[in-house]
Amino acid sequence: MSRAKNVIEVEGRVVECLRSAMFTVELENGHQVLAHISGKIRKNYIRIMLEDRVLVELPPYDLSRGRIVFRYRN
Amino acid sequence: MNTTPFTSGLSENAVVITRVARGQWHALDDDLVVGRGHAHHRPDGRLFVSIDAWHDAAFDRLAEAMRAELPAPLYTVVDEADTELTDGWLRAGFAIRRREWEYAVPTDPRVTGLDEVLPPAGVTIVPAGQADETLLRAVDRAVRDEVEAAVGWQSMPAEVIPFPEGDTIVDPSKYAVAATPDRYLGLIRVVTVKRPRIGLIAVRAGEQRRGIARALLAHALGTLHRSGFASAWAEVQESNGPASALFAGVGAQPVGSNLELVR
Repeated sequence: MSRAKNVIEVEGRVVECLRSAMFTVELENGHQVLAHISGKIRKNYIRIMLEDRVLVELPPYDLSRGRIVFRYRN
Repeated sequence: MNTTPFTSGLSENAVVITRVARGQWHALDDDLVVGRGHAHHRPDGRLFVSIDAWHDAAFDRLAEAMRAELPAPLYTVVDEADTELTDGWLRAGFAIRRREWEYAVPTDPRVTGLDEVLPPAGVTIVPAGQADETLLRAVDRAVRDEVEAAVGWQSMPAEVIPFPEGDTIVDPSKYAVAATPDRYLGLIRVVTVKRPRIGLIAVRAGEQRRGIARALLAHALGTLHRSGFASAWAEVQESNGPASALFAGVGAQPVGSNLELVR
């Protein structure tokens, strides 16, 4: 799914909370990426926890890392 | 839409910073979105900004464009462990204003030592969901006015939920209170989504240092423990000595910290 032009966004599940404000997120296709929380989420004090279902934005030139841009309620 | 070209070094083409809507900017590199900036007002009126960029250069250009368009002061929040992002804001001229610790608070009375803690004589704890709404709003208003007249509410943990005009109680059922027959002396708010969060614990200025906050905490943590929650979490402003001591005294452990920066 994508909400903005030229932005790759994929749903995933947080499978590991790491140091340095990073998370391992398993994407729908089984691929795992190292992701950090978007500044917009941080600004709104939304906490990301293990097992959270999230929307991850991937950079256009490196699909091994990502940015959590949304946390689903359930 | 405002469009400002900048040379970024990301590619042969220039990164273009575009304000795509009110409070929203994009950094485009060769038609790819390589960064985004947002700005919005908190309920307290302060303007908070955030930037998400895949490269320092895009971050810096976004910061530059936003700074040029937005009125000072600008605020932002970062996880202190996110050194890359923190460095970006420091490069943009922001300075650390305050630090807020996140605590994991145990609920087991054998760990907290709160199993025999009672409120002072003449004070009772009214459980969440049973507080009189008028008295609850009165103590909440009184505490907020006292804080605002002293250190200022901006030094308290951030509130990001927009409240109706003059009303800071979203859900009265989330508050337990310390009560005397004619008024409430203090309150504690616990909200549980996935894990319980102690969002507010406060006592009227003239009633502090009587053990009321500790009794409220003992009540809230005991209730959570009986409900099966092993821990709660809370945020405490680093300079808030009494709150830090209260949580440290029950075995709470710091698990992270947020920095508020300002420019």
